[in-house]
Amino acid sequence: MTSFSIKQLSQKLTAGLAFVLIATSQAFAVTVEDSLGKHEFSQPATRVITLNWGATEEVLELGVTPVGIADIQGYKTWVARPEVPDGVIDVGTRAEPNVERLAELKPDLIIVGSMQQDMVARLSPIAPVLYFDNYRADHSNIQAIEHSFIELGKALGKGEEAKNRLKERDQILADLKRKVWQHFNGQPPKVGVARFGDANHARVYGDNSMPTAALDALGLKAALDIPSTTWGQVQKPIRDLAYLDGVLLYIRPLPNEDELFKRPLFRMMPFVSEGRIAPVKATWTYGGALSIRYLAEHFVDALTSMPADIQTAKSHGAAN
Amino acid sequence: MGGQTLSRHHSGQESLTTAFFSKAARNPVTAKPAMGFALGIIALLAISLWHLQTRTQLPLADQIGLWLGTPAESFSSFEYLYSDMPRLLMAIMAGAVLGLVGSMMQQLLQNPLVSPMTLGASSGAWLGLVAASVLVPGLAVIYREWWALSGAVLATGLCLLVARRSGFRGPPIVLSGMAVSLLFGALASALVLLNDQYVRNLFIWGAGDLAQGDWKEVLWLLPRLTPVLLLLIFAHRPLMLMRLGDQGARSRGLSLIPVMIALLLIALWLTASVISTVGLIGFIGLLTPQIARPFCGQSARQEMLASALIGAFLLCLTDIIALRATDFFGQLVPSGAAAALIGAPALIILAMKRKNSEKTPSEAIRHDNAFSDHAQQPWLLRSPKKARSIIALTAIAILCLAFFVFPKTVLNAGQAQTVWGWFWPEGYLWQLRWPRVLTAMMAGFGLAVAGTVLQRLIRNPLASPDILGLSAGATLSIVVFILIFGAQWLIFSPLIAFGGSFAVLALLLFLGKKQSFTPGIMVLTGIALTALLDAILQFTLASGTEEVFSLLLWMSGSTYKVTDQQAIILTVGVLILSVLTLVWHRALTLIAISDDVAQARGINLGKTRGWLLTLIAGICALITAVIGPVSFIGLLSPHLANLLGAKRILPQIVLASIAGASLLVLSDWVGRVALYPVQISAGVIASLIGGSYFIYLLTRQKL
Repeated sequence: MTSFSIKQLSQKLTAGLAFVLIATSQAFAVTVEDSLGKHEFSQPATRVITLNWGATEEVLELGVTPVGIADIQGYKTWVARPEVPDGVIDVGTRAEPNVERLAELKPDLIIVGSMQQDMVARLSPIAPVLYFDNYRADHSNIQAIEHSFIELGKALGKGEEAKNRLKERDQILADLKRKVWQHFNGQPPKVGVARFGDANHARVYGDNSMPTAALDALGLKAALDIPSTTWGQVQKPIRDLAYLDGVLLYIRPLPNEDELFKRPLFRMMPFVSEGRIAPVKATWTYGGALSIRYLAEHFVDALTSMPADIQTAKSHGAAN
Repeated sequence: MGGQTLSRHHSGQESLTTAFFSKAARNPVTAKPAMGFALGIIALLAISLWHLQTRTQLPLADQIGLWLGTPAESFSSFEYLYSDMPRLLMAIMAGAVLGLVGSMMQQLLQNPLVSPMTLGASSGAWLGLVAASVLVPGLAVIYREWWALSGAVLATGLCLLVARRSGFRGPPIVLSGMAVSLLFGALASALVLLNDQYVRNLFIWGAGDLAQGDWKEVLWLLPRLTPVLLLLIFAHRPLMLMRLGDQGARSRGLSLIPVMIALLLIALWLTASVISTVGLIGFIGLLTPQIARPFCGQSARQEMLASALIGAFLLCLTDIIALRATDFFGQLVPSGAAAALIGAPALIILAMKRKNSEKTPSEAIRHDNAFSDHAQQPWLLRSPKKARSIIALTAIAILCLAFFVFPKTVLNAGQAQTVWGWFWPEGYLWQLRWPRVLTAMMAGFGLAVAGTVLQRLIRNPLASPDILGLSAGATLSIVVFILIFGAQWLIFSPLIAFGGSFAVLALLLFLGKKQSFTPGIMVLTGIALTALLDAILQFTLASGTEEVFSLLLWMSGSTYKVTDQQAIILTVGVLILSVLTLVWHRALTLIAISDDVAQARGINLGKTRGWLLTLIAGICALITAVIGPVSFIGLLSPHLANLLGAKRILPQIVLASIAGASLLVLSDWVGRVALYPVQISAGVIASLIGGSYFIYLLTRQKL
């Protein structure tokens, strides 16, 4: 009973606060640019629904609790950080969110991503829609993501904060960069990033992927030459990684990790036998602007666990 | 030409298939089998050597050294020893076993369209793995082979159970295989769509790649393949006897059913072992015996051996292509995809080559009692008038359900609550709902009309528009388009799908014209295209990117994204095309009796079939373009109409279309509310409802 009334009270307070905010921000008028063009907002959005995990993450990072998000369970399992507060409503899957429920939640802003492009027309009658087509083969994903983060911040009345968060992130990245360069005495190895699929195949991250953006931010060179694709990754037989020039970081979770390391061919791979491989904590690799920071942190953790004088393979040249 | 190849319809199953199989026996090439086998073995050795050279840079002398047991020192020699060699061995083992088992099963069931894959083994294995990955993620990886094996056993077992009453012969087994595959496939898709992140690592297995990094898998598989010897030693005699027909075999002391079950179980075990190790590699089992048969159809054992040789050769060849393509694209091209790219056209070409033979293979799935009365009349039939008012009321009830009964999210002091009930959809909700309901209704309507016409046209109550490959064509074009250009093109999916369906129609008209559109070539094209689609789809999934889920979703047949405009275009289009089919209703009645009767009454068979086929293709293309592929509705609706007492064409079309519309509207509604707020596609639900009902009917021998 008590907790309930406290809850109610806090809700009333929030509502009151929101009212004050709205009342004081009469002058608020902002132009937000998404992948479809420019949108005018006369007041900051408060009832936000995010339909892709990248946007969910960014909205939460800006301290706004969305009214509804798509696939909460999936977000909690695979993205995890930042945490979703209780009371956020599930609006169905990311690919087919429940439009009827969306409408009933009476949002004042809906944010969609690359996957939901064809839903914009359907959602616009419900509320203004911001569509950020961040993942494409023909542009720099990371630039698009940073731009969309700032624009999204503007729509929430937090444009300045978004910029500050990016600066803060860049500061952290610079520190991490210093740390990893110091660890390797100014000569860090080249780094490849992969997820092992099964005992014989791996998904390798290349240009235009978030892991590569994180490596760039750390001033590290890519060990694998992977062409730019929409999501920045390709599937390869593990064997093709053999002549990797540098170190390999593999992202966990990896079920059956022991099994893989017992396989004779894998054990004999130069980068495995020479210890040029390290695991990275489970991290989401298609996230928002700030998630690069988590990736970079985990990469640095993994890299600094290696000896400083780790040899880089020179004899064989680049991997094919 | 056309007249000569017009098929004659034998009444007995046996004459039909013996004709097909004995044609091979007359071939003079079989005169010197020993010589042929020697040549085959030399070819296999040659391609093995070539296969080994695809990746390695080791000089041949070093390679021979490694074969003879020189310990590996350099990393290249390790690669050779632990990757190249086991991969070759795996290709040979898998290819040989799939070929041998395919040949055995085709001989056993006297049906050239049978292979372990067409009996549900692959979709069963796939479902087994997907379910395990979702339900018990930890155990899924460790016991991978066992999950796949149990899934495959379950699916094929179900398939055999369904077909047991017909003595595993004739149409029920192929069609129940299709039904089981569709049903299991729909279940797996639903699981994948709802749990996409868990199942990603499975996609590589699904695509069927032979890459190895250890001898473990080869050594796991090898002892499990010992039953091959049993087949080679013991299967020969029963298979030879079966060529005499069931009666003949029995009179020579063969106890048919136990032998069949034993042989099928061995075949199933072998297949499941192979696919659980290497993944889904289709076509080899279906295609290889067809290549082998003309050379050594005389002896069952020789055909099995030759199929094994050819299977091994083919899989090595396609694997070389897969390896080269992987190097070329810098991205994994799985062996299974390469096998399908070669297999699908090869199957069609083989079928065309055989056009002069008396029987085209797919006539093996012709049903002779097409529209005979059912022995047991269902209760509804006893009073057709009552039945019709019941179905009308049911249809209206379903329509009301679809519009007015739904869960609703109510905001209560900031908290959302889900309330179930009977509501009038207000404002925007109405706007969201009517296009979906109308689309489901008209799609069901159209599929039912197309199914009814098609079943009469090719005189097979088990035919459905799916088997023509029209939806497969539409889906394939979308998959390929997205593979090349990316998911943003899904916006144009209706146009692309339409183009795909019509490309298939053009192919059908081209292939079928020479044969006056006999069913054989049409069905075969469908099977080949569907298998090709599966392989390419698995290949796309293996790339593991986000867009594959948009694709899977589209493939599950969803009304979710239908716009007002599309709903109206679909309605008008389906209505016009359906009414047009009625122009030929007299011809349909006559063709449904027999070709001879139709011709005697002055029907131009080729022309009529061509036009009706075009109309059906138009309906299917339109529906697939708007909501994606939907199974079972076209198959079951005419049957429901039949059950309700409609024997003549006009009432059958009317009743079937009402039944089809109701079924799909119901499926759509269930999909919307069952897991609210999560939505399941109408197509998935339709497959679940339709597939279960279909299997029930088959076990009851009502079809």
